[in-house]
Amino acid sequence: MTKADQAASLSVKGRIITGLALAGMMGVYIRALAYTPIEQTQGPAQKIFYLHAPAAMTALGAFAATGLASIFYLWLRDQRVDLFAAASAEVGVVMSVILLTTGPIWGKPIWGTWWSWDARLTSTLFIFLLFVGYLVMRGALEEPVIRAQHSSVIGIMGLVLVPFIHLTVYMFRTLHPTPVILKPSEPSMDSPMLATFLLSLAVYALLYIGLVVQRYALAVLREARSEEAANGIS
Amino acid sequence: MPPVVSVRNISRRFGYRLILDRVNFEVEPGEVIGIMGPNGAGKTTLLRIVAGITKPTSGEVEVSGILAMVGHSSMLYDALSASENLRFCARLYGLADEGTIDSTLDLVGLSKWRNQRVGTFSRGMTQRLAIARALLVDPPLLLLDEPMTGLDDTAAEIVYQVLLDLRAKGTSMLIVTHQTDPVVQLATSMGFLVGGRMEVIEKVDNRSASDIAARYKEIVHGG
Amino acid sequence: MARVLSAAFTIAVKDLAIELRTKTAFMSALVFAILVLAILFFARDPTAVASIDIAPGALWVTFTFAAIVGLNRSFLLERENRALDGILLAPIPRSSIFLGKLLANLAFVFTVEFISLPIFVLFYNVEVWSRLPALIAVIAMTTVAFVSVGTLLSSMVVRTRFAELMLPLLLLPFLVPPVVGAVQVTSRILAARPLSEMLGWLKLLVAFDIVFFVLSLLLFEVTLEE
Repeated sequence: MTKADQAASLSVKGRIITGLALAGMMGVYIRALAYTPIEQTQGPAQKIFYLHAPAAMTALGAFAATGLASIFYLWLRDQRVDLFAAASAEVGVVMSVILLTTGPIWGKPIWGTWWSWDARLTSTLFIFLLFVGYLVMRGALEEPVIRAQHSSVIGIMGLVLVPFIHLTVYMFRTLHPTPVILKPSEPSMDSPMLATFLLSLAVYALLYIGLVVQRYALAVLREARSEEAANGIS
Repeated sequence: MPPVVSVRNISRRFGYRLILDRVNFEVEPGEVIGIMGPNGAGKTTLLRIVAGITKPTSGEVEVSGILAMVGHSSMLYDALSASENLRFCARLYGLADEGTIDSTLDLVGLSKWRNQRVGTFSRGMTQRLAIARALLVDPPLLLLDEPMTGLDDTAAEIVYQVLLDLRAKGTSMLIVTHQTDPVVQLATSMGFLVGGRMEVIEKVDNRSASDIAARYKEIVHGG
Repeated sequence: MARVLSAAFTIAVKDLAIELRTKTAFMSALVFAILVLAILFFARDPTAVASIDIAPGALWVTFTFAAIVGLNRSFLLERENRALDGILLAPIPRSSIFLGKLLANLAFVFTVEFISLPIFVLFYNVEVWSRLPALIAVIAMTTVAFVSVGTLLSSMVVRTRFAELMLPLLLLPFLVPPVVGAVQVTSRILAARPLSEMLGWLKLLVAFDIVFFVLSLLLFEVTLEE
C-alpha cells in the first residue's frame, strides 16, 4: 500500500469517528435540554456550559498536545510528529472558536455584558491568537523540514507561555473586579448535571480524535502529492 | 596522512526532492577536486554540507581542521568597509593581526580600497574580497562555488593566480563549477555529479580543457 | 565560555557598527516612538481621562512597537549576501550568535528607550526624577524579556515570506506577560506606591526573564538549521 492509500484509509476512519462524535453530540444536546435539571441560580443559560466547558478543555488539551508533540519532534525529527502537531493545533483553534463564542453568549445574561475580560476567557483568547499565528507561519514556509523546525520552536515556546499568560491575567483580574449580576461560583452540579457534562466531555474528546485523524491524513496525502509533483511522477 | 575531508554516504532532501543521493568521496591533503555537473545536480548543496552549514538528511561528513568557503554570495556586509569586513572575520576566528589583513588585501589587489564600503564595489572587487575573506584564516581546506562566474578579466586573472599559488602551497580545495570554467584546469581530480549521484571521480593528470569537456559530455550526457 | 562571550561581543560590535553607519533602523524606531507617544496622547477624551492615567500604557505600547522595528532588522542584516553563512563557518559555538544578536538588540532597544523616555516625560508631564532608578530597573527587566524572545523569533521569521509581518504576529502573544507586568509596575512607580504593591508583578517579570532567556538560547540553534 502506498503512503497515499494509507492516508486515504486513515481519512475514512477519521470520518467515521467524527460521525460518531457528531451523533453523540446530538445525544448530549437532547440530554442537556430535556433530561437535565435547570441550574437554580443561573437558569437555562447554564445549559451552554455543557458545550462551552468541554470545548475549552479540548482546546487546551489540543494545544498542550501540539506543545508536547513539538518537543518530541525536536527529539525524533520525524515529519509525522510535526503533521500531528499541526493537526492538533488546527483542531484546537476550532475548539477555541467554539469556546470564545459560547463564552459571551453565556456571559450576556450572567454578567450583563458580552465580554468581561474574564480571566479564563482572556487567557484563551491570547493562546488562541498565538496558535493562529503558528498556523499562519506554517503557511508562509514551503520547505517541510524548516516548517517543522520552526513550528516546533513556537509550539514549545507556546507551551511554556500558557502558565505565564494565565498568571498575568489572573493577577490583573484580582485587582479589577468585574460587574457581575449573578455571582457564578464553581457550579455546584448535582449528579445528572455532572453526568451530562462528563458525557459531553467524552463526546468532545471523540470529536477531537476524529478531526485530528482526518486532518492528519489529509496532511500526509498532501505531502505525498507534493512529493510526486516535485519528482515528476504522474 | 588522513584525508582532509571524508564524505560518507551523504543524502539530502530539500522539500520533496532528493538533491543528493548517497555521495561518497575524500579530499586528500594538497588535493584539488573539481566537481562538475549540470544545474540542479546538487553541487552547491554538497559544498554547503561539507562546510557544515547545511545538515545532511543522512550520512556523515568529517572535516579535519578549519575550512573557509567562497560561496555564490559574498558573505560580506555592504555597510562595512573592506578592512572592517576582514577584521570582523579575523576576530570570529580568534585572530587579531592587522598585518595579515593588510597583506591579504594586497594579495587580491584591494589595498587601495581598504576603507571603501563594500556596497560600492563592483562584482569583481567583491569576489576578490570574498576570496580575501577566505584566505585570511590560512585554511588548510578551501571550498569554492563557481569562483570565476561573472568576473571581469582583471578579477579573473587575479583570482586564478591566487588559486594557483594556493595549490602550489599545498592547500586542499574543493571547487564546484561547470565544465567551461577555467578553474577546472587547477583540479588534480575531477568528480561528476549528475542528478544527485557522484558518477565518477578520477585523477586528471594535466588534461587539457577540451579533454575535460569531452569527458563531461560523455558522463553527463551519456556519450 | 570566554570564547562564547568574545565571539558574541564581536558580533554585537559588528551589528552596532553597521547600525551606526546606516542609522536607518534607529531613526525609524525613534521617530516611530515619538509619533506613537504623541498619537496616544490625543487618543483619549481630555475632559474625562487625565494623561497620567494612560501614561504607563502609552510608554509600553511605544517601547514594544519601537523594539519590533529593531528586531525585524536584526537578522535581515545577515540575509544580504548570506553573511550569516560566514558566521556559521567560523569555529564558534552557535549560542554565541544568539548572545551577540541579543546584545546588539538590547543596545539598540535601550538606546531608543532612553531617548524616548525624556520625550515621554515632557509629553505626559510626569514626575519621574525621584523614581528614575526604579523606572530604569523595570525598563531593563522588561526589555530583556522581550528582546530575548524577539531575537529568537527574528532569526526564525527571516526565512518566511512576509518576515516583517510575521514578527509582530508571533511576538506579541509572548509580550502579554512582560508588558502587562511592566505597565502595572510603572503605574505604581509613577503613583509612588510602596514596593510591596508591585512585588508580585516583579516576580513575574523576573521569572519570565529567566525562563524565556534560557528557552530562547536553547531553541536558537534549531532556527539556524537548514
